[in-house]
Amino acid sequence: MAMPGFLQQLRDVMYPPSRKQAILGLFQDAESAATAGDALKDAGVPDTDYDFLTDSPYPEGSLGEREEKHRLYLYPFIGALLGLSSGIMITAMTQVAYPLVTGGKPVLSLPPMAIVCYEGTMLGAILFTVIGIVFESRLPKFQLGLYDDRITQGFLGLRVNAEPEQRYEVIQIMNSAGAVEVKTDQ
Amino acid sequence: MASETQAHPPAADHGHDAHEHGHFGPEMWVIPEAPGLVAEVNEKQNAPSGIFRMVLLAGAALTILGIVGFVLKAITAGFSDHRAWGFYVAAFAFVFTLTASAPLAACAFRFTKSHWRRPLSRIAEIFSLVSIVNILLFIPALIALPDIGVATESGELMVRRSIWFQELVNPSGWLLAGMIGLSFCSVAILWLAALPDMAQSRHLVSGFRASLYGRLAGGWYGTKRQWQVQKGGLAILGALYFMMVVFVQFLVVSDFAMAMIPGWKDSILPPFYTVISFQGGLATILLVAYAMRRWGGYRDLIGQAPFWAASKVLLGLTLLHTYHLFAFFITYWYGRLEVEQAILNYLMFDSYIGIFWAQLFFTFFIPFPILVSNHARREGWGAPLAAIFIVIGLLLWHIRIFAAAFAAAPAVEGGLYYLPSDAFSFPALLLPVPGATFPDLWDIFMILGGVGIVLLVFRIGMMLLPPLSLWEMKEGSMYQRVDTLIRGRYLVLAKPE
Repeated sequence: MAMPGFLQQLRDVMYPPSRKQAILGLFQDAESAATAGDALKDAGVPDTDYDFLTDSPYPEGSLGEREEKHRLYLYPFIGALLGLSSGIMITAMTQVAYPLVTGGKPVLSLPPMAIVCYEGTMLGAILFTVIGIVFESRLPKFQLGLYDDRITQGFLGLRVNAEPEQRYEVIQIMNSAGAVEVKTDQ
Repeated sequence: MASETQAHPPAADHGHDAHEHGHFGPEMWVIPEAPGLVAEVNEKQNAPSGIFRMVLLAGAALTILGIVGFVLKAITAGFSDHRAWGFYVAAFAFVFTLTASAPLAACAFRFTKSHWRRPLSRIAEIFSLVSIVNILLFIPALIALPDIGVATESGELMVRRSIWFQELVNPSGWLLAGMIGLSFCSVAILWLAALPDMAQSRHLVSGFRASLYGRLAGGWYGTKRQWQVQKGGLAILGALYFMMVVFVQFLVVSDFAMAMIPGWKDSILPPFYTVISFQGGLATILLVAYAMRRWGGYRDLIGQAPFWAASKVLLGLTLLHTYHLFAFFITYWYGRLEVEQAILNYLMFDSYIGIFWAQLFFTFFIPFPILVSNHARREGWGAPLAAIFIVIGLLLWHIRIFAAAFAAAPAVEGGLYYLPSDAFSFPALLLPVPGATFPDLWDIFMILGGVGIVLLVFRIGMMLLPPLSLWEMKEGSMYQRVDTLIRGRYLVLAKPE
């Protein structure tokens, strides 16, 4: 399907074109996939250039994969801080602008202000967490790349972004490790 | 195609040998095989059993009845007298109570890494869709809520007790923002949890679902990073949802119940309401799961273990509910101020005495012995049976608290409800104690409509999304196995975290 120009431009910004080629090896069991991963590492393929694709989360490190770091935990803090600031500003500025003594309470009465501030904090944290999930998961992709539906049936995928000169070697490694099929994007 | 279980005796062996399964029946632990699970659930979704069609029809019929009741109530009573809307608010609060806490069950049991929760997770999360309906149901309740302050003919400002800052009008903006935030958070949890399942099912579905899955799960490959962000996101959103749901429950019960009864100041009521909501949410999830297992064709995917484990949590919540009820009573009985005695008489021992005792029977005296019975818990039917009584009891609780609160609040300014803004040193009293209010036909229609809309939206949710958390069940099948220990067969668990 043709992608609109704007979307194509956005995609190019988010995922700059690379000369690397995608290769997907499909494995029936986790052991073979892990063996292929180890062999790729031994062959000098950087561990940032390959990913295991699974239908459920495998225990940390069980496939010998790299440790992934993300900054999702920062997003709710930023959102909460912005929400709290908005809550304080709305309540304080409203009361200062329109001073009204209710039931003998001070004009800037903290308990009722706390309710609005808490609500602002929560709303900000929730909104920013969702934004963080979208960004950190690299989710806004407009086209499904190299994939195989058998991964949904328990097969494991090993997707490698290989330099053109490494292409043949990577395919060989996957086949030797017991790949059921090896696909490329060429 | 998924077999019945992994390392599991065939169906013919059921009850054949007590040693075969230790003390547990063969259906206690059902561990589906991961390959083929997506296709199997999709197949069940495409060919639903009769009960699901019945639920859809009943939900649609009751929703129409509720809409008719609402329209006729609005025409006949208008929104100027809030007392006419007490039963509507009770119906809304009942729906909100049951459905708002349901997604929390998925988050909480995921936090604790319980394996038995896996078949219940998606059921709990689909209730997030009802939270969108909660926003719509909330709007008429907000319109019916009386303003906080009024000006008399002489120009004097009269206000009622309120938790809000400097607001004289109905605080609906803040209330609605809270409800929308809660709904947004729960839908985000549903989306994030269902993301891998939608991605895995997209090649099996067609039409609207294919388009929906493509849009919502586009770009999901199941890379390590994506799984980690999903796990972290669910943990953070779950924590925020807990903080938000408790807050919105506090607002609803404070503004729509406590603030409506002159002189009612109660620090126990908000946590009491939260406990009730947790109890109702879990009861509702167990009812749905039982219906799916018993009549919906999911027996080979949902075992007895989730009911067995969840029944203990339900027992704890039932005891907590009763403890809070007692604490509410004993505090006021001990205080013995005139207003406290009036509130006790109004809500418990005089005006609403019948509904109070009926509710107590449904929420405690009947479910407690069922949940205490080890046999009933283990066989899997104990918790759902108790849940039916609990849900009925909670409907009565909401009528007793919310409908009674709206009926007690005076409709006119002045008197003991609205006070001069500097007169809050005087207590507002509920004297004389008003009598009970009974629903009219439109109120009954609206209450039925509240139940109907939950059934309808939930059923539509089950049609749109995989009704079981496929990735979690696959993950579970990696970590669980039924194996032999001496002469019995038991569940062996891996705990990688």
